[in-house]
Amino acid sequence: MATLALPGADNAPLSTPSDDGSGRRRKGAGGKNTTAGPVTYVLLTLTALVAVFPLYWTVVAGSHTNSEIAATPPPFLPDASLFTNFRLALEQAPIGKAILNSVLVSGAITVGTVFFCTLAGFAFAKLQFRGKGLLLSLVIGTMMVPTQLAVIPLFMMIAELQWVNQLQAVILPTLVSAFGVFFMRQYLVQSLPDELLEAGRVDGASTFRIFWSIVVPVARPAMAVLAMLTFLTAWNEFFWPIIALTTANPTVQVALAGLGSGYVPQQGVIMAGTLLGTLPVLVVFTILGKQIVGGIMQGAVKG
Amino acid sequence: MATVTFDHATRVYPKADRPAVDALQLDIADGEFLVLVGPSGCGKSTSLRMLAGLEEIDEGKILIGGRDVSEAQPKERDIAMVFQNYALYPHMSVAENMAFALKLAGVGKEERRRRVEDAARILDLGDYLDRRPKALSGGQRQRVAMGRAIVREPQVFLMDEPLSNLDAKLRVQTRTQIASLQRRLGVTTVYVTHDQVEAMTMGDRVAVLKDGVLQQCDTPGTLYERPANAFVAGFIGSPAMNLVTGPVVDGGVRLGGAVLPVPRAQLAAASASSGTVTVGFRPEAVELVGPGDGVPVTVGVVEQLGADAYLYTKLAGGTTEDVLHPSDVVVRTGPRSTPTEGQTLHLRVREGGLHVFDPATQRRVD
Repeated sequence: MATLALPGADNAPLSTPSDDGSGRRRKGAGGKNTTAGPVTYVLLTLTALVAVFPLYWTVVAGSHTNSEIAATPPPFLPDASLFTNFRLALEQAPIGKAILNSVLVSGAITVGTVFFCTLAGFAFAKLQFRGKGLLLSLVIGTMMVPTQLAVIPLFMMIAELQWVNQLQAVILPTLVSAFGVFFMRQYLVQSLPDELLEAGRVDGASTFRIFWSIVVPVARPAMAVLAMLTFLTAWNEFFWPIIALTTANPTVQVALAGLGSGYVPQQGVIMAGTLLGTLPVLVVFTILGKQIVGGIMQGAVKG
Repeated sequence: MATVTFDHATRVYPKADRPAVDALQLDIADGEFLVLVGPSGCGKSTSLRMLAGLEEIDEGKILIGGRDVSEAQPKERDIAMVFQNYALYPHMSVAENMAFALKLAGVGKEERRRRVEDAARILDLGDYLDRRPKALSGGQRQRVAMGRAIVREPQVFLMDEPLSNLDAKLRVQTRTQIASLQRRLGVTTVYVTHDQVEAMTMGDRVAVLKDGVLQQCDTPGTLYERPANAFVAGFIGSPAMNLVTGPVVDGGVRLGGAVLPVPRAQLAAASASSGTVTVGFRPEAVELVGPGDGVPVTVGVVEQLGADAYLYTKLAGGTTEDVLHPSDVVVRTGPRSTPTEGQTLHLRVREGGLHVFDPATQRRVD
């Protein structure tokens, strides 16, 4: 997180003039920008290649048949068959509906998690109430309980509610996460000065108004990070959706599982379907990434 | 505009063994500028926060304009506060920062704009209304914090060390501006500082606190001329008053190798319990006399300030105890022909410059 309590722009130069003597020893650690050398570029390029390769291979494999993929050497470039495979994938599984469902499910989970976790994180970070420490330990403690343990009672509950094969069965159990609460608490403890809340109280704001008008804008970078992580987790979630939903009303992962279930799985079609299922995630990343801005707290308090 | 009364207001923090503020009794007049001053941890900020409603009151009560507000929320007290670190909302522009309280109070858009522009004009912030706090200098941020208080048109201004983050030159400048602004607006103001120069120059009255207990509350002149106890005597004034404790002898108190004359009545009253007496005299109340007369001291360090010079001296002569643990005495002299290090001088306290304190109670004896 590059956003925590950055010093004000006018403070930054204060340390540099007197640092002449110690500048060499503190190279890289101080405020000076050092130019990246060739080694850095080589390492960064390698890392980028490793990161991009799966996406590249999905595109390549998505535009070939099983035998072409298995040939030596394997194909290196995608071709127009990709669009044929897209069509096949859409015919073999309800991917269009699955994407819509996944957008709904992941969107609802993301909005819910970010809202509730910020609310709870704010309470744990800044409000005084009895049993705060115990409650926080309890929340963190739930992270140690494996999902598998809760599956049977959870399924019994949603069966009781007649929610099987309904989207709310996938949305409701994950509307708030212990990790998110802890993550937002840590961020707010560090980056939200008490004086800002006190100023709000003196100005006449209620606790919820303080949360909405002061805490949320300050917590925006952390909320964006949490939103990205939550959306990705919800989008990729397979275990619980395949239990709670059927292939008639699936999420993307459930539908993709259906693609690979034929007698001879067609790798190209599976890859094309996977590519279709991944595109919305890339869009979400592009939008939320812009929210992660540095120095949101600059100028609030003289540090 | 309103009076403010602390009626035996007490605050005890959980798990603390003594109160942070102990039965504070203070009456602040309508339109008065009262400064709370004291060393770190003396309870001055806690007192202010109790008045703001940010800190609970465990015993006693606080009244604003005759109304008991001890249980009231901050927003019900009609106060505005300037924080030490300004606490500006980082995501709002200067105008939005100043108008936030008015918006919450349901003041109309036009009225809000008018009040913000008025305050901006007073504080010379007109050109910065659309900027975010991060694009302002320290002094400008401080003025925005002031502006946020002014637009509220509250009954009481509370200021918690608002100048401590400014550089020395700007602090002196802003000090004068705040004082004159307060006179102009006529709003009752409670101002917290640890800087006694700020306290003396700004306040109509100054309340000195130590360990949560009010030591003295009076005009700056009285605090300087007639400190109620040895703590106030030592705290107010720079350099501090010389405070020396010595055994009582016939006609005065023995300091080093000589006797400093003290009126008999004061001597008797001050030394009743211990046989010793604490005398205080300010560096500027000392005059140099010839050898054979006055109290001998040895010059240590000489500080040249241009207009004055300060001599940091130690009492000379007397018993082994005096030689081993000599007391420091600071003396102000003219800038020219200052004595050199190691030289022995003889001092006398000017008429009316001597303060006498009981070493047991630390109280002033007249």
